[in-house]
Amino acid sequence: MATLARGVAAPRTLAHRLRTPRYAGYLLVLPAIIYVLALIGFPLLLGIWYSLTNTTVAAPGHFVGLQNFVDVARDPTFKLAVRNTLIIGVVATAAKITLSVALAFLMLGAFPGRGILRVLFVLPWTIPIALSTIAYKWMFHSQYSVINWMLINVGILDQGIQWLGTPIPAMAAVIFVSTWRAVPFGAITVLAGLTAIPTDVIEAARIDGAGWWARFVKVIVPIIAPILFIALLFDLIFTLTELTVVFILTGGGPVDQTQVLANYALQVGVSGTQLGQGAAIALYLLPVLLVLTVLSLRHIGKREGM
Amino acid sequence: MGLYVLVAVFPFYWMVITTFKTNSDLYTLANNPLWFNEPPTLSHIQYLFEKTLFGRWMLNSAIIGVCVVLITLVIATPAGYALARLDLPGAQQLGIVIFATYLVPPSLLFIPLTRVVYGLGLQNTIWSLVVVLPTISIPFAVWLLMGFFKNVPMEIEEAGLVDGCTRFQAVLHIVLPMSKAGLSAAGMFAFAISLQAFLYPLVFTSSAVVKPVTLGVVTDLIRGDIYYWGELMAGALIAGLPVAILFNLFLDDFVEGITGGAFK
Repeated sequence: MATLARGVAAPRTLAHRLRTPRYAGYLLVLPAIIYVLALIGFPLLLGIWYSLTNTTVAAPGHFVGLQNFVDVARDPTFKLAVRNTLIIGVVATAAKITLSVALAFLMLGAFPGRGILRVLFVLPWTIPIALSTIAYKWMFHSQYSVINWMLINVGILDQGIQWLGTPIPAMAAVIFVSTWRAVPFGAITVLAGLTAIPTDVIEAARIDGAGWWARFVKVIVPIIAPILFIALLFDLIFTLTELTVVFILTGGGPVDQTQVLANYALQVGVSGTQLGQGAAIALYLLPVLLVLTVLSLRHIGKREGM
Repeated sequence: MGLYVLVAVFPFYWMVITTFKTNSDLYTLANNPLWFNEPPTLSHIQYLFEKTLFGRWMLNSAIIGVCVVLITLVIATPAGYALARLDLPGAQQLGIVIFATYLVPPSLLFIPLTRVVYGLGLQNTIWSLVVVLPTISIPFAVWLLMGFFKNVPMEIEEAGLVDGCTRFQAVLHIVLPMSKAGLSAAGMFAFAISLQAFLYPLVFTSSAVVKPVTLGVVTDLIRGDIYYWGELMAGALIAGLPVAILFNLFLDDFVEGITGGAFK
């Protein structure tokens, strides 16, 4: 009886083992959920609460409604920070996407020395941004700028530019470093998309008489558009909330002309000890981020067939 | 392309040349800045290791990096596996929600996190960073690993079960080895994140002795208005190169992890 039962039970045990109880499955996800709730969810809510109080580093503070948001909106430095954050976000993102696509095409073919070239090519992205930015600070030095030296020697400039000391060159420097850093990764992502396009699709378009521009716009772009779109949204999110380049390169200067929201939140909230106001400054980013996040998630969701 | 590589690489050339130049060579305007006008020197590197806490900063970064990798893999691997393979109701949505938290940037979190770090008694220690940095790596790693686990054919895991493995053994001996690229990509991402991080170290560590190397180099080699450029560039070079090399080794896995699902 027992042996007989074992004979028929075997497949059932297998099916049973495959159908692990649900609670066990959720148990495996639980540490991740707890971690995310404790160190992302809770701080996010705490930050919103801080923004509605006059909390400082020294005192817990009490509820003041939207006072911080109103005060901050009247602050001229905050207005500069909003303006600069938007300019950097739009210009740097546009430059990154354009250059990434262009470079991806250049890297497409096989050529000698491709391996070593790729190592050099991704250097800007692989080295910690704080370290490369300090190198740029030295390259843009007021007296010993090697960039000025080269531009003067090539004959482009007559005299050196005070890169970090004048508003527009300082913004240009911030945007340049941010773009310089992100392009390799963008190019590699696009390249991965390009190499996944079946060559016969492009060949077919060529045979049908499509020129390279038509092939690019009508065949290649639609295929790589999804990943390009997500890369664009992600990049915008990170560019809008970044502060390392500004913090190290210009400190927001000259006179707040390159100030950005994240750096200003740091100055007011941590250095200035006004936690409530700092939180409010940072939270002005939230609506924009929400829109961008929902857009990217809907896109990812669609791709995953939800 | 050639021009681009030149622009990409020049700051590193500049780091190298500054590192080995004497101060009098660096600060003489008449000199050609692109090449040595006086014999090269090791004095900046010597200063870095003898007169600053550079070695300690490197050690701090290594400890933080290894801990963040371990925490990330221990938490994200079971989550990624369960969400990808156990047929849980709502798994896909849950995965997307966890991934969405990756998009909550440090600049929104650092102010309230100072309170959390203080509450845990970790302010001004390297452990504050060990606790906080996985906020960036865990959401991404869960997402990355979900993708990799989905790609291991279900039949292979079932075959292991038929052979008498428990599900846990099947995962350990069959699924995990087949997802090696995913695990190393997630681990590398966590390591890179902890070395790249700047805002959290800046806010949570203040004493020189607990700083990670990226922060130590850019804050402690500047005294008031005086920048020790030779030492700064030497520090950036020595701290940056290992990261760059490591990144390159895992680059293919990483790119596949990010783009893999997108083109299937």
